[in-house]
Amino acid sequence: MLYVTIALFALAVGLFALHLFWAKARGWVWKAVAVLGGAMLPAGAYFGLSWAPSEQDMGEVYRIIFVHVPMVWAALLALVVNFVASAAYLFKRSWTSDSLGEAGAEVGVVFGVVGLLLGSIWGRPTWGVWWDWDPRLTTTAIMLVLYTGYLALRKFVDDPEKRATWSAVVGVIAAVDLPIVWFSVRWWKSIHQVQSNPKTIDRSMFVVLVFNVVAFMCALFVYLWHRFLIAKAARAREVALPSALPPAGPQEAA
Amino acid sequence: MSFLTHAMLAQVGQGRIEGGWEYIWAAYGLTWLSLALYGVSLWLRRRSGEPPKELS
Repeated sequence: MLYVTIALFALAVGLFALHLFWAKARGWVWKAVAVLGGAMLPAGAYFGLSWAPSEQDMGEVYRIIFVHVPMVWAALLALVVNFVASAAYLFKRSWTSDSLGEAGAEVGVVFGVVGLLLGSIWGRPTWGVWWDWDPRLTTTAIMLVLYTGYLALRKFVDDPEKRATWSAVVGVIAAVDLPIVWFSVRWWKSIHQVQSNPKTIDRSMFVVLVFNVVAFMCALFVYLWHRFLIAKAARAREVALPSALPPAGPQEAA
Repeated sequence: MSFLTHAMLAQVGQGRIEGGWEYIWAAYGLTWLSLALYGVSLWLRRRSGEPPKELS
């Protein structure tokens, strides 16, 4: 299981790199990633629900970790993509980076909201509450509000260039919250556990966690790519529009 | 140990959490449903949009 997971991890990273650096392969690489992710997601659910052993204190409930952690990590990664694209746009204006920023924000918010809900479902049987104003939960909620604001800003501004510039600035500012979310469990007293690593988690659980992380990263990749294409097509339609419509003639006035 | 600390610790459950499968199924169900719905949303939006053009 360990070696299979390492091999799948390497395969996924190889495909991501291929897609990034070899433009001609983009037509089929995302399909390969989709097939890989589509096979790994149900397998990961099976491993998480039945193959992984019970936890010492949380019993079976801890199995939520196998969807909660990959979902939140995927959200954070998507929002890092948004930050990189936003910063890239401010350095060099490009519709590609603007579209990538939009894709990263939307996919990040979707994964983040679901990840937060999954954490809430996990919190009820373990903490006894659905929600607590704990540093990790609070900073995550702030993060989601910030990026929802980013998406709202993009909806409200009609001018594509102003929209791209303003949202890039917001994307860079909002990214300040990302390391705060990550380190909140270490910086402040939190009921949320610190990040798991091979030293703090049993190997059989860690392997299943990594397997699911790879599966969710494949899903994230496919979603990001398609959301990017949607955004880029929208920009193409907007830019193709005449920048200034001709003044209304007599026949239109009538 | 102060009375307050003792009272607080008394509220902390001891032993292992039993059951809770309803929470697990809810979490996995929510995960699969959200991934599926968002995938369908992207697919529909891509179908309604034009193919991407080369932009700088």
